[in-house]
Amino acid sequence: MTGLAPIDGVVVLAILAKALGYGAALLAMGGALFTLLFAKRAEESVLRLAQHLAVGAAIVGLAVLALRFGIRAARISGMGFEGATDPMMLGFVWDSPLGTAAIWRGIGELAILAILLPRVGHWIALAGSLAVAMSFAQVGHSLGEPRAALAVLPVLHLLAAAFWVGALLPLRKAALTPTGADLLHHFGNVAAYGVAVLILVGAALAWLLSGSVAALFGTAYGLVLLVKVVIVSALLGIASLNKLRLVPALRAEKRGATIVLRRSISIEMLAVVLILLATATLTSLTTPPINL
Amino acid sequence: MIKQTLFGLAVAMGPVLAAAHSKSEETMPADGATVTDVPELTMRFDDPMRIISVTLTSPDGDVKIERETGMDPTTEFRAMPLEELAPGSYRFDWRGMASDGHPMQGSFSFTVVQ
Repeated sequence: MTGLAPIDGVVVLAILAKALGYGAALLAMGGALFTLLFAKRAEESVLRLAQHLAVGAAIVGLAVLALRFGIRAARISGMGFEGATDPMMLGFVWDSPLGTAAIWRGIGELAILAILLPRVGHWIALAGSLAVAMSFAQVGHSLGEPRAALAVLPVLHLLAAAFWVGALLPLRKAALTPTGADLLHHFGNVAAYGVAVLILVGAALAWLLSGSVAALFGTAYGLVLLVKVVIVSALLGIASLNKLRLVPALRAEKRGATIVLRRSISIEMLAVVLILLATATLTSLTTPPINL
Repeated sequence: MIKQTLFGLAVAMGPVLAAAHSKSEETMPADGATVTDVPELTMRFDDPMRIISVTLTSPDGDVKIERETGMDPTTEFRAMPLEELAPGSYRFDWRGMASDGHPMQGSFSFTVVQ
């Protein structure tokens, strides 16, 4: 297979930690965005859940950041896990773009913790979300050319994904509240734009990094990307089912509508987990065809 | 339409993008080569690479080599075997980090004959 890196124990750990880091970053950003965007429409209990989600995810994100430093140091050292605490190796990682990204992400995730403060806290958390999104443009192939496109596109992609992923758990809770149906309906309308951004930007990035359709089928990067796209399509299918059938059923107060919708959102969350694992594999193990 | 435009962009930017990642361009001895004498082991990269660990192994185990190149990012890496290499097959493995932060690794093999 073209463009596939060797796989060993440290790499598997690196992929799991990366997927966990993606999830934590998306939930932290998404929780903050939800709190701000739906402050007027959502019930207090739903907003509180979104806030707690943002705070918990930010704390996990910070821990994973430290863990990933050690894993990266172990990978470059060739010494196995012993390399994880080697000061020289950690120094190399700190000097690399991962160090710069860690500063952006660390500060961003700390700022998201400010969501617990009244009023101004929400805006600090929003700034933190932007910093976290921008941290992803500091590493890897985002540093290639065209620099501007490869820096801006991932930031948009992440903000749109975070808006969606971070809303799932609060919405699942909202389905149980009296005003939940209206909130879910409103979310569906806003999310339609978010999904459009997600797909357009994702497609643009895929084009920029793979360069041709043939590259999608002939390289490891292309195949993992296709797996990701298949899961994303399934997720979009579930999302449209929710928007077009299940949420209207909830609004019409049909029997059992709440249970079906909540189960459907749980399946969405599972799909998100699979997408994050596919993405972490994509960015750890494979090289975009354009870089081969 | 958007896709066509982006595709055009991608094609136009191809040569620029291709330079984004450093690769091992050539090695000495060349991968798969049969040689009689190995005065030094060298690797060239098209973009600076921080080479962190290197090992030379023969069927009998690790072979001692001395690095001439330090651990700073470099486009040319050089190391020397401490003793003359006995006939047999050898494999050189390296690990390091590209300038974009990616962990990188690679290897090449060669055979020494009398």
